[in-house]
Amino acid sequence: MSKPTADWERVGDRFYRKTQLYTSVFNPELELENYVVTGAPYSGAVALYRDEGKIYTYRGNQAAKSTIDIHSCAGKLIRQIPWDKGRIKALGWSEDERLLVVTDDGIVRGYADLQGDFTPFSLGHGAEEHGVQACKFWSTGFVALLGNNSVVAVTRYEEPRPQLLASAPPGEVVSWTVIPPEYTSSRSVEVLLAIGKTVYVVDAAECEDRSLEAGPFRHISVSPNGKFIALYTEDSKVWVISSDFQDRFSEYESKVKTPPKDLQWCGNNAVVLAWEDELHLIGPNGAASKFYYDSFMHLLPDIDGIRVLTGDVCDFLQKVPDPTEEVFRLGSTSPASVLLDALEQLEKKSPKADDDIQLIKANLDEAVDVCVRAAGQEYSIHRQKQLLKAASFGKSVLDLYNSDDFVDMTEALRVLNAVRFYEVGIPLSYDQYIRLTPERLMQRLVNRQEYLLALKVSEYLHLPVDRIYVHWARQKVRSSSTDEESICEEIVRKLDGKRGISFEEVARAAYDEGRGKLATELLEHEPRAGKQVPLLLSVGEESIALDKAIESGDTDLVFFVLLNLKKKIPLSSFFRTINSRPVATSIVESSAIDQDRELLKDLYYQDDRRIDGSNLLVSEALSAPDMGAATDKLKMAAKLLRDSKEFAPQVAALEDAQKLTRFQEAFEKDLTERYVGLSVNETMSKLIKAGNMKRALKVQTEFKVPEKTYWWVRLRALVSRRDWRELEEMSKGRKSPIGWEPFYDEILSAGNTKIASLYIPKCTTLTVGERIEMWLKCGMVAKAGEEALKAKDRNALEELRKQASGPALLDVERMITQLQKGR
Amino acid sequence: MAASQASQVINTQDITDKSRRDLLLLLEAVRGKKNLVIEKSLASIIGLFVKFSTLQEYGVDKLFFLENHNVDSSQRNIVFLARGDNARVVRTVAEQIRLVRSESKIDHDFTVIWVPRRTLVSNLVLEEHGVLGEANITELDLQFVPLEPDVLSLELEDCFSDLILRKDPTPIFAAARSLMGLQKQYGLFPRILGKGDNAKKLSDLLLRMRSEEDVNASSDPSNTYLTSFGLTPSSTIENLIIIDREVDFPTALATQLTYEGLLDEVFSVSHNQTEVDSSILGSAPAPSTQPQNGTSPAPTTATKRKVQLDSSDKLYPEIRNVNFATIGPLLNRTAKRLQSDQQNIHAPNQSISDLKSFVSKLPSYQAEQASLKIHTSLAEEISKFTKAETFRRVLEVEQTLLIGSEGSTVHENIEELIARDTPLPTMLRLLCLESTLSNGIRLRELDNFKRQILQAYGYQHLLTLTSLQKMGLLVPREANRGYLNPIAGSAGMGATDWNFVRQRLQLWVDEVEDEAGKDKDIAYVFSGYAPLSVRLVQAILQKSYLQTLATAGGAAVAPAATGAGWKGYDDVLARIKGATVDVVQKGNDTDASHARKTLRGNKEGPKTTIVFFVGGVTFAEIAALRFVGKQLEEASGRNLVIGTTGLISGKRVADVAIEKGTFGS
Repeated sequence: MSKPTADWERVGDRFYRKTQLYTSVFNPELELENYVVTGAPYSGAVALYRDEGKIYTYRGNQAAKSTIDIHSCAGKLIRQIPWDKGRIKALGWSEDERLLVVTDDGIVRGYADLQGDFTPFSLGHGAEEHGVQACKFWSTGFVALLGNNSVVAVTRYEEPRPQLLASAPPGEVVSWTVIPPEYTSSRSVEVLLAIGKTVYVVDAAECEDRSLEAGPFRHISVSPNGKFIALYTEDSKVWVISSDFQDRFSEYESKVKTPPKDLQWCGNNAVVLAWEDELHLIGPNGAASKFYYDSFMHLLPDIDGIRVLTGDVCDFLQKVPDPTEEVFRLGSTSPASVLLDALEQLEKKSPKADDDIQLIKANLDEAVDVCVRAAGQEYSIHRQKQLLKAASFGKSVLDLYNSDDFVDMTEALRVLNAVRFYEVGIPLSYDQYIRLTPERLMQRLVNRQEYLLALKVSEYLHLPVDRIYVHWARQKVRSSSTDEESICEEIVRKLDGKRGISFEEVARAAYDEGRGKLATELLEHEPRAGKQVPLLLSVGEESIALDKAIESGDTDLVFFVLLNLKKKIPLSSFFRTINSRPVATSIVESSAIDQDRELLKDLYYQDDRRIDGSNLLVSEALSAPDMGAATDKLKMAAKLLRDSKEFAPQVAALEDAQKLTRFQEAFEKDLTERYVGLSVNETMSKLIKAGNMKRALKVQTEFKVPEKTYWWVRLRALVSRRDWRELEEMSKGRKSPIGWEPFYDEILSAGNTKIASLYIPKCTTLTVGERIEMWLKCGMVAKAGEEALKAKDRNALEELRKQASGPALLDVERMITQLQKGR
Repeated sequence: MAASQASQVINTQDITDKSRRDLLLLLEAVRGKKNLVIEKSLASIIGLFVKFSTLQEYGVDKLFFLENHNVDSSQRNIVFLARGDNARVVRTVAEQIRLVRSESKIDHDFTVIWVPRRTLVSNLVLEEHGVLGEANITELDLQFVPLEPDVLSLELEDCFSDLILRKDPTPIFAAARSLMGLQKQYGLFPRILGKGDNAKKLSDLLLRMRSEEDVNASSDPSNTYLTSFGLTPSSTIENLIIIDREVDFPTALATQLTYEGLLDEVFSVSHNQTEVDSSILGSAPAPSTQPQNGTSPAPTTATKRKVQLDSSDKLYPEIRNVNFATIGPLLNRTAKRLQSDQQNIHAPNQSISDLKSFVSKLPSYQAEQASLKIHTSLAEEISKFTKAETFRRVLEVEQTLLIGSEGSTVHENIEELIARDTPLPTMLRLLCLESTLSNGIRLRELDNFKRQILQAYGYQHLLTLTSLQKMGLLVPREANRGYLNPIAGSAGMGATDWNFVRQRLQLWVDEVEDEAGKDKDIAYVFSGYAPLSVRLVQAILQKSYLQTLATAGGAAVAPAATGAGWKGYDDVLARIKGATVDVVQKGNDTDASHARKTLRGNKEGPKTTIVFFVGGVTFAEIAALRFVGKQLEEASGRNLVIGTTGLISGKRVADVAIEKGTFGS
């Protein structure tokens, strides 16, 4: 067993280590220097394609076919994408292992899940004419640099919306990079362009010159946490500055004439310079260390280190994690280190083990913690075991210790070791695992079709397993060559009774594969009605789709199906389809009212809904430009209903409406006043107000307005006209169908007490008290007194006396005495 | 107040905060300055939880209403905020985008925020207009808007016309989604009770969503809680009671007689605000009422002033729910108290500490005084309205109908009111009230009324009358319909046996005040009529109270009603139209349910009941439910939370039906 520090390298006051992850990665014949290589974050897959700008050995026709190859970090070929779609300008990965291929005409193709078909979109913003120069990717988006130095950003891949950033000045872009939105103060992506001697910072709103003098910068790179920028100057110096360009942290001179081919960050505190087979690792304060390789290498930066890929090996270069350093550093006397020693002594059955424990007794819990954490950082299973054993030993001595971390770590390590296995080829570090989260790790396993492993791990970690089953089923549907019935049967058997399975997704996969019948069969097992709808539409099962949409209660879905349906089938069958479904009918109706009245007319006609049809015409009449058109519409409306006896009142009303307009038009001609638009009562009222009693009367008889109504209208019109003479005349009348009280009330509220009082004696149905009150309201105390006297109401008179004054008082007193006398 | 109690269970502040946060996050995502185009009905809802000044801090430069193509192109960023489930609105948004794009010289960035969600139809419509690729589309999942700590409303303005007139179940779906949201947060409603066909639809939808939730939750990686347990019954919420508006139209039609109800009748209250002529309030604007209204920078006409009506007011919470008849003394008492406070300050021999304590109270004192001034003016204006002779007549007719006495005077009165040109909505309310209370009006009489309505108000109301018939509000009485027909069956009654229900549930109470002049029954909100909807709630929660009321009322002694749910009142429910809902929800995992209960450490069981109105609730009903809630709280520490699709009043009901167009205009 080699010593743990064997692969450590001192850089300044820190240690870096190079862990060999895998060997015999690629076919030795592969000339890696001719390939563009890019790796997905969190130790994900690696994509390669041959750089067309480079000369390569002729290997006959077969090899000349261009492909994009996706490998695991261990070199296992996951997928080969044949390529004939134009010049690839950039290749990149998103956080969820979506491969993005950008061609020079600005078309972006996204290959999700390592398996699926691509979804393309275009960058636009002039990408087609100016051509894409290069792209820089971050975890959830990328920025493309076009030939005319404009910069286009894509911030998400679901419904991508390429956004043109502020324009940069012309000039050759020597190097460039992006700061992902999550690390900028503006929360939107910033692009750093090294043009001429300086660097420009471009975001959506503006382009700012950082006025540096030391350019041109051959390379520029941003640290994983977005806080630092490394620049490589023309005179072969490396600068590390803060990402706001305010502070300069360190400088290093490489003393190599040829500029390096790549500059990348290794974690957040070291920069790696790479030439063909030489690596400079530059730590803080300009300290550096050099590594040499046998062959050409590629750098695959990650959040906590950098992977170095050659044809033969895959190495991981990282700063030695603190707990590891604490345990293993030569001459370390830290408690953790002593604890590890104690374990070794124990295994040798030496009593020194106890001495060690006594030595660190005070810090034992800390020692255990460190050992546990150090175990997480180890790639060697042997050392993981040693450290965990040490931790376990230390734990056993402690009286009280919370073992949660220990248990979690053993679980995590079990998972990590499983996925690091070369056939799986995901060399996750512990930090990457925590950042990636177990759920997304499962997704990656599933993408690699490691279903069994994914299931086992999910069960072990208590994660939901439905995604795995669904993915498996989708793959099954895509690749299985057996007949559809048995596929369906197998899938249903395997997935039945599992919670939360989305059959809809499986069915969609079947549909995309052209297996329409299988899709429909699978869809029947989907519990969510709403989810079935879009697919049912695609397979042409519109009426089932409509039923399912109605079942889901989601009117949006129903409407959506209806709109699709209407486009697809003839109107008559459309009506037949909705006819038996009231919800569908009402949705069609309520939407058509706003936008498609003709459709509504057809619908009403087809369903023989005459009242609705007729009303539609009435409402058209209301919005008709002139009365002629309106009358025509009303006629049509009446005609629709005429056949049936049950609508007789409606027909009569429609005819009255026409008659009324005829009358009104005549009045308008005679009286040059506006009458159209008024109701019958309003028309009469207006006529009376204008003094046209005869015409008003004619309207009354013509429209059979009830006598009572007419009287009310007349009364109110006269009062509002203050036609006191006419009202006085009316008080002489013998009979009123509405009684006389309303006359009193209306006239009084118009303020004419004199005329109002004329009506008091006519209100014979009222009580004496009420009449007294009425007189009083007119201010006629004496009259009120007379009323009381007539009724011989002494108390009322006494009351009146209190209110009376002046001559009225005398009157009242006289009446009181009269009443007394009478007794 | 009862409201503050309820808020402990359902944290309405959280809902408000979340809505605000979500909106501001969406706005922040659009970099730089932007113009905000907002659907008018949403504007005042948004105004309930975020101020205009806050929007400005988030880069909103100008605000426009989504109407008649008024959007200007002064900013590169244009953000639309509109309802995505309304095709008409979606079309307007699409047209606006197209218009701005073709007219403006700059290259605009469009963002559309759909409320409450992005719909398939909205995608389709945008696509048809060729603008789908132009706009950045996001969604704001705005569901319940807490109007008060105990009132959650969806504030769907068109919900009544959608549900009742157009029979479009969209509001039910929206309600189900929102209630599902509550279930996700607080656990399953252990029992769902309800009355009415729409209540049934809603509860069915809730059950369906629950089963679908299992699938949804497990495909959502962030939702670990649900995946591990599934939903368990709530330990805080006891019942969900769903009342379908269709079950109880009369309550919605009758004139509300509480202060808040009358404010609504006279001035219309929407989203906790009302607009009144500034001449009514007098000149000096009170500082407390103005700042909340910042959402609409468009200058309101000089003569109108907005008044904020919610529990942030000093005085309003005390007076909103009282019967208007008692408002005078209440205001008077407050005025006297304020006056005596004032005299205290002017008292000559005050120590500095006295003064200090007074000064600290000064702001609240001033606020109260301002509020008193406003409410006195408003009350005065209302009393002008209530003292009018027609109002008295209308009320008389209403009460006769509600009591259920077969007076022949009713029809005469109605005819006279029509002849006197009483406003149409009022007349329609009366006619509908009669129709709904007696399951239709005899055909001959109905035709006669219709004729008079048409003659008095215009023939365009042919449409109005058809709409009312469609809504089931004004229908001819059919001999073969309803409770008289034994075949009409058990599943859903077509009509309500009002006489039976009135007697069994004591819908009319003659004395609503006890000896001390305090209200003793919910019937006070309509001065005698106890709303059926609230009685139904009482039939679940206050069985013994209803029992004593029935015995006191001299009704035939019914079987003792105890137990949970509808038990004891099945006979009444069978005679009310619409389906009856009674569902018990259990958790998938009984262990988890137990665990949850133990974790809560709550031995007494859940105590909150949510009363949800499908199709809208009136202020009078809210007042009555608060009254019930207060009694419940005093008796057993239980409380009520009211949920609704929106607020409704008789005026709004009539307004839905009324045809606005006239001939030749």
